[in-house]
Amino acid sequence: MKRLSVFIVAVASLAACTSSTSENVEKKPATVTLLAYDAFTPEEGIFDEFTNDTGITVKVVTGGDSGVLVSKAILTAGNPEGDVLWGVDNTMLSRAEQASLLTSYEPVNTGDICINADKEWFASSDIPIPTRLEDLVLPQYRGLLVTQDPVASSPGLGFLLGTIAHFGEGKWRAFWEALKGHVHIAPDWTTAYTVDFSGSSGNGKYPLVVSYGSSPPAEVLYADPSNPLTEPTTSVIESTCFRQTEYVGILRGTTNSVAAEALVMYLLGKKFQESMPLSLFVFPVNQEAVLPDLFVKFALRAKDPLTVSPQDIELNREKWLNEWRAILL
Amino acid sequence: MTARRLLSFLPVGFVAVFLVLPFLNTVDTFFSVSNTRDVLSDPSMLRILWFSLWQAVLSVLATMIFAIPATWALSRFQFPGARLCRGLLTTPFVLPSIVVAAGVLAISQRTGVVSILWAHVVFNVAVVLRIVSPRWALLNPRYEQSAATLGASPWQTFTHIVWPNIRSAVNSAAALVFAYCFTSFGVISIVGGFSRRTIETEIFTQSVRLGNTDVAITLAVLQMIVVLLVFQISRPSLLQTTSTHVSSAPIPLHTKPRGRWIVLVSVVVPVIIVALPLVATLIRSVSYRGHISFHAWTTVFGGTLPQLTVSTWRVIVTSLLFSLATAILAVSLALIAAQQMGRQWFHYAEQHRILRFVTSLPLVVSAATLGLGIVITYNTDPFAWRSHTWLIPVIHALIALPVAIRILEPAVQAIPPSLRAGAALLGSSPWHTWLRIDIALLRPALLRSVGISAAISLGEFGVTSFLTRSNSTTVTMTISQLLGRPGALTQQSGYVLASLLIVLTVGVTSRA
Repeated sequence: MKRLSVFIVAVASLAACTSSTSENVEKKPATVTLLAYDAFTPEEGIFDEFTNDTGITVKVVTGGDSGVLVSKAILTAGNPEGDVLWGVDNTMLSRAEQASLLTSYEPVNTGDICINADKEWFASSDIPIPTRLEDLVLPQYRGLLVTQDPVASSPGLGFLLGTIAHFGEGKWRAFWEALKGHVHIAPDWTTAYTVDFSGSSGNGKYPLVVSYGSSPPAEVLYADPSNPLTEPTTSVIESTCFRQTEYVGILRGTTNSVAAEALVMYLLGKKFQESMPLSLFVFPVNQEAVLPDLFVKFALRAKDPLTVSPQDIELNREKWLNEWRAILL
Repeated sequence: MTARRLLSFLPVGFVAVFLVLPFLNTVDTFFSVSNTRDVLSDPSMLRILWFSLWQAVLSVLATMIFAIPATWALSRFQFPGARLCRGLLTTPFVLPSIVVAAGVLAISQRTGVVSILWAHVVFNVAVVLRIVSPRWALLNPRYEQSAATLGASPWQTFTHIVWPNIRSAVNSAAALVFAYCFTSFGVISIVGGFSRRTIETEIFTQSVRLGNTDVAITLAVLQMIVVLLVFQISRPSLLQTTSTHVSSAPIPLHTKPRGRWIVLVSVVVPVIIVALPLVATLIRSVSYRGHISFHAWTTVFGGTLPQLTVSTWRVIVTSLLFSLATAILAVSLALIAAQQMGRQWFHYAEQHRILRFVTSLPLVVSAATLGLGIVITYNTDPFAWRSHTWLIPVIHALIALPVAIRILEPAVQAIPPSLRAGAALLGSSPWHTWLRIDIALLRPALLRSVGISAAISLGEFGVTSFLTRSNSTTVTMTISQLLGRPGALTQQSGYVLASLLIVLTVGVTSRA
């Protein structure tokens, strides 16, 4: 028995040793920690210039999807897991404000949540691609759309908010009541776009899907090389676009605010902003940033997007979601 | 004796530090009686509770219908391909729920209860197989043969000879499957459709989407009570059959024993049900809208992953290191616990109860709650562990511990005490006895628990996604990242990684 305990202790200390490497890097003064959602995949080496200029190393840590990330950050407000937070969007901004999560924040990118259409499907059928939300309840478009559960999915929530913005507090329920039974609700973006939608990698049966204004260029850039695309197989219906804005902010409680400010400046600067379209598939907010060709040609940024203010979203989110559920269930 | 007693604190202490403390802290911060009253009087919450219960009960029944015959056939008979079948049946357990669920959805083409049950069967056959099979393999077939010679029908043989011997293992597997299905998150949210809500999905919705952490914690406490009650009911009695069991070689099927067709059907049907979603995964890795293309395979094997900056090899090495660490930690702790519980001395009954209770806890605490609990508990020096990489395999080991114990415990109990006594009598030291008798006889069960602990680590997604990580992306997380982006190559690469995981696991588990 004694030797067994020696063995166990040895195993435990071995585990402890392997772990200590991560501790060493952490509290060096010349490091700034950027807390981001899992899907944050910046261009490789994009922070090298920042490190060269300032001597500060950027450590990117990820912690769940944007919802998980912000919920955790709110629970740990004042004692943050990083210095700078990437990824609060306009649907969560008010919640972050109420928790005094950030000492300062600024918009860092925008993207549109819009209905995407399978161009091939519509070309081979005799109906045109719909152009307005109202079209979706017409008999010929019934049963063609797949969207996401707005409770679980952020594009789903964006689309619901878009319909609220478009039809107004008085009429959005009537729209969804008319749509009920003629729309498929998927649990998340992945299932909707890759299983249910007919226009991408899945073999689904729905030619309309709620996705992003930047999904078409991604289809081209990451097409199968044996079947390269000169233009996307999908198109975006501009009038359905809901504007999503993401913010970058300095977390309250950071002991590293000088470096944090420098990093925020860099994230808003031309170089980083220009890298975002093809690495994160979002639009820059910096006016000087030049868009890549692929984005100019195929990505859509609505001229007159649907919007709801962060305050209204925070105030009504739960009520709207419950009402939506009551209608669709 | 004191060393042994100290040792028994290790598993309990481990669970206490990484689970009980964070959970209690969360409850203490957010739980209130008035909230509980609100939740319990809300009809929609009661509907959620009711649905969670009946879908879990049906899932257990469905799993058992396919798993028990397969377990019987695989532990009793030997035939070409038996190992492969074992591997195939175990594999889904390591796959991210998105992969299995997408596979099920691709074939069933519809969300709803049937798809939920199917996906739960696919995931959980492995649990029954891994827990019941070591026990069944230890049951000497001579008893059955004698019974048959004496004129007992197969049914009588089963109820009088086999069942009493495997009952405790089946019970514990059933309780485990219930716990997994009752707290299932990924499967329900993907194949259930948006109208199907369970307590676990609601905990996530309330805490993460709506910011109602208090409601979430109330639900987590309710969920915990239900699962604990089920464990209480299924608790093995202290008075077990401890007839002597001698491990015996499985019967080769080519000797044409009676009823060999039943054996084949018992294996083939579950294998088909489990393998179909896996095959769907392989197909999607090479096909895009009717075209067959291996570009995603060459891309992934070339080391790059579309749209991600991390390399294929790095992701695979990270996952393997985590699963290795998980297996070592979980199986060491499980062995200690199982040996404690396996010794049926009545004056230790109370301690055993505590040990059993505490080591079951990882199954009853919701992933979302545990994740949040760790974040808010271990946040100040010198215990600021929440963003440390070592926390990931530690949490994986925590989740694997109850399963590893359930695999080892029946096997420990099946060791006849007379063997140890005999060894001692012949002058063997306790350490020698332990090594030569316990470990030697436990070898198959130990290998199985290593395999399944490593598998749990490979597939774990729930708690890990709540932890803050740096440069420690696992294969599972990468798959969900790839499937979460547009682009044919990106999507296919996600399925390539999933296929790789399938092939690797079939390879590993068909050996263990």
